[in-house]
Amino acid sequence: MARTLAMFTDTSLCIGCRACQVACKQWNELPSEQPEWTGSYQNHATFTDKTYRLVRFIEKPQANGELSWLLMSDVCKHCAQAGCLEACPTGAIYRTEHGTVNINQDVCNGCRYCVSSCPFGVVAFNHDTGRANKCTFCNDRITNGLGPACAKTCPTDSIQFGFRDDLVTKAGKRVAALKEMGYKQAQLYGADTNGPLGGLNAFFLLLDKPSTYALPEKPLLPQRNVLVDSLLSVGSALLVGVGAVLAFRERGGPAGGSPKGGNDA
Amino acid sequence: MLKNPDWHLLIVWYFFLGGIAGGAYFTAAIADNFGSPRDKSVFRIGYVLALLLIGLCAILLILDLGTPSRFFNMVTNFRFWNPMSIGAWMLGIFGIFAFVSSALSFAGGEGVAPLRRRLSLLGSIAGFFIAAYTGVLLSATALPFWTDGRLMGALFLVSGASTGMAAISLLLYLSGESAGEGFGKVKRADRYAIMFEILVLAAFLVLLGGAAGPLVSGSLAPLFWGGLVVVGLVIPLLVDLVGLKLPPAVPAALVLVGGFVLRYVIVMANA
Repeated sequence: MARTLAMFTDTSLCIGCRACQVACKQWNELPSEQPEWTGSYQNHATFTDKTYRLVRFIEKPQANGELSWLLMSDVCKHCAQAGCLEACPTGAIYRTEHGTVNINQDVCNGCRYCVSSCPFGVVAFNHDTGRANKCTFCNDRITNGLGPACAKTCPTDSIQFGFRDDLVTKAGKRVAALKEMGYKQAQLYGADTNGPLGGLNAFFLLLDKPSTYALPEKPLLPQRNVLVDSLLSVGSALLVGVGAVLAFRERGGPAGGSPKGGNDA
Repeated sequence: MLKNPDWHLLIVWYFFLGGIAGGAYFTAAIADNFGSPRDKSVFRIGYVLALLLIGLCAILLILDLGTPSRFFNMVTNFRFWNPMSIGAWMLGIFGIFAFVSSALSFAGGEGVAPLRRRLSLLGSIAGFFIAAYTGVLLSATALPFWTDGRLMGALFLVSGASTGMAAISLLLYLSGESAGEGFGKVKRADRYAIMFEILVLAAFLVLLGGAAGPLVSGSLAPLFWGGLVVVGLVIPLLVDLVGLKLPPAVPAALVLVGGFVLRYVIVMANA
């Protein structure tokens, strides 16, 4: 596999211009949607089937009672261990040779399991096409040597595109510099490939703890529950089975008339 | 901000009827293998009911897809760690079992009985899978209410068994067979299943802890406590234990109502 490509979103550089949001819509030919009042400048409230890049405007109260902005251009994380990809029963969701996660629109049948399996609430169902949609990492662009539309258009380089290992090194230096400048909470989110979900191929530099940005502190792979829950189901099946056998067995001896040999369990 | 999958009534009905199909088949298999030859009406009804319901289930699932014409894409892959993928395969496999068992319980005479009995034990595994996997499927998502109680699959399985037994009782009653001993045995089996379901449900709520909010104190709480706990579990069990003189169809119908309410509140709590 080629070197993994990634996007690094440095929220300390974001000015909330939403150029990324617009560039994404234009390149991917995503129609506009009815705006919705979220109580702040942010629009929309969350990712939709027509909004793959979304600038979050977070109002954070300061010690003196005034509000300060935290701005973050949010996007599909293209997780190394992706809940949506593991949930997809059709194989429509696949990993590209760049390490990103895509939904093949020609295969998706609209079961919507991926929608509930994304730990970040990114994947959305498109009622017009009957299929699931999300950020494609501009697969058409990166395959042809161009950066994703959002990264290309970002005027402050808050969104950077490149090889993952290069970007992680760069991000580490940036965190150290910010800490020196007094941003005590500056931290990387999803940069560590040994961290949650095996690392995110769209990772972030945050100026506060993840939950302030409505991100899970420790995102988990949904499929972690399958084994334990299945074993518990098998156990309860055995108990139900015993109860039913007791109810049907002829009293005072083995079942009459059924030639089942050494079958009594 | 997490997203719900927009699963509504089609899926609720599927979870409910799939549970009955699996439970009815399993009950029929037990009656066939461990009961007396006089329990024939029990296993005949169980096998045929499973066959009819599993066919209906497939239709409900296809209709729920965003692109129904692509339903076949579900089985162009096999992903053993993915409940929906194995579920789609198992739906077909269970359908074949239900078909063969139904056929062998009407045709072939006593000569095919040993084959039918052995097949039905294998088919019961598929039936239990159909009843339980929908719960495991919900618990393998990112939504806390579905994922924090480890017993969703077990709960669906026990409820499937119980509602399967209740459906057989109801059909026995409607076909005038409620005086036979088979009816009494199904009722006794359902008594054990209901008792077990109450225990599993209690453990499930404890495991859910704070995430149980939508069920125990939200807008669905009256339906959960009234429709499932009281109407669907406690009353049928009390009627049975006290020996109240009611038409036998009543407790069976209440168990079925409870089984539907269980799937309804769990699916709709995230809708």
